[in-house]
Amino acid sequence: MPREVILVDSQLGNLDSVEHALIQVGASVIVSSDPDRVATARMVVFPGQGSFGPTTRGLVDGAMGAALRMVIERGDPFLGICLGMQLLFEHSEEGGGSDGLKVLPGRVRRFPADMRAGDEPDASRLKIPHMGWSDVQPTGEHFYFAHSYYVETTDPSLVMWWCRYGSVEFPATIARGNVFGCQFHPEKSQWSGLRFLRSFILGGRA
Amino acid sequence: MLKRRVIPCLDIKNGRVVKGVHFANLRDTGDPVEAARAYDTQGADELCLLDITATTEGRDTFVDVVRRVAGQIFTPLTVGGGVRREADVRRLLAAGADKVAVNSAAVANPLLIRQLADRYGSQCIVVAVDVRQLKPLPGETEPLYEVVIHGGTRSTGLEALSWCEQAAALGAGEILLTSMDKDGTRDGYDLAITRAVSKRVPIPVIASGGVGSLEHLRQGLDPKEGAADAALAASIFHFGLYTIAQAKHYLAEHGIPVRPHEAPRGVLITG
Repeated sequence: MPREVILVDSQLGNLDSVEHALIQVGASVIVSSDPDRVATARMVVFPGQGSFGPTTRGLVDGAMGAALRMVIERGDPFLGICLGMQLLFEHSEEGGGSDGLKVLPGRVRRFPADMRAGDEPDASRLKIPHMGWSDVQPTGEHFYFAHSYYVETTDPSLVMWWCRYGSVEFPATIARGNVFGCQFHPEKSQWSGLRFLRSFILGGRA
Repeated sequence: MLKRRVIPCLDIKNGRVVKGVHFANLRDTGDPVEAARAYDTQGADELCLLDITATTEGRDTFVDVVRRVAGQIFTPLTVGGGVRREADVRRLLAAGADKVAVNSAAVANPLLIRQLADRYGSQCIVVAVDVRQLKPLPGETEPLYEVVIHGGTRSTGLEALSWCEQAAALGAGEILLTSMDKDGTRDGYDLAITRAVSKRVPIPVIASGGVGSLEHLRQGLDPKEGAADAALAASIFHFGLYTIAQAKHYLAEHGIPVRPHEAPRGVLITG
């Protein structure tokens, strides 16, 4: 009997690739934008691309935000991907500032514009977005990232894997009880991404 | 640490992979879905599909190709070619593309870049820039490059560096920079303009046009040569000259940080 996952459609980007990857690792996927349906889920994956702003404000304050909090408080396995992870935190400075779901302590910040690729004065400026494959520590596996904002948490015990870009070390994955998040896109990270999703699906852990 | 990317590109015409020299003399080299799957297995960091058909039927066929390819791979998919308006972007994203490249339409209306970035996020809007070196005038010491559109057939009068800067300022997430002089020649990227753009803009730059060997990929990515963030190539991979895994191996051996090739267990990748 495959694990049933509710894949939350919150109009924050294309779901097909996440759905495709979840099916590939043995999940049975139900895509839903209905807060009542999401509230009853036994396992939730909440993907997101794009940015904090009007859409996320509506989500956080609305019925979907309440449903997501309910799933998390009840203790059912929950995975937030990219913006879906960032939304678990208190606040983002993106788009003039917006609140998140405030499930976890921390804030979402933009990479500083003046980071350099090395210590030499003529070292080239690092590009933003942080786009492409970076390794995470301590596992050394590579995942695909595409983001200009990162989580800065006051509680390092939340962080499972770290990633470094320029001078910033930020959480690549976070875990607290039943709540998981990844800044990278596991659905775009080939075998390492599929392994990550499979461990979440099979164990309710990442 | 962020790795440099190797991106195989498939030019699609009427649903098939073609590869031309100087965007002409097209010849059929196969099925896009099969090629995409092979590249994904070989460890491509990303895949690019460019639609080079001109007809409406061709466009519909392309969306279908995007859908079928997206269903086969677990790496990012960038698509472009003939993207005119927001509806085209929406259609391609809905078909499973992760990033959409705009070219001529952005030149005609630069604010389209901002409109698309605001709506879909910068991370999924690539501005494709085709450039050609201008014949130097007596007394000019630096080479100047002009932006061309419609497959290199039309001048725009735009200077390449300032256009790339403007595209970045309007919210582009990446620049896909193709040298029309080099495209299809297999003599290597135009390193001068690649490096100039890469140093100038604050967003990632994908080098394109002219790759004929693995050394060309290395040059494009070397911080002292092309300084690009990603290297795109078509024919060296299509014609089976090299596999992606061989390219990665070569780059790693020559000091370019790349994602190591990870073969699926139990499957032997030859070459």
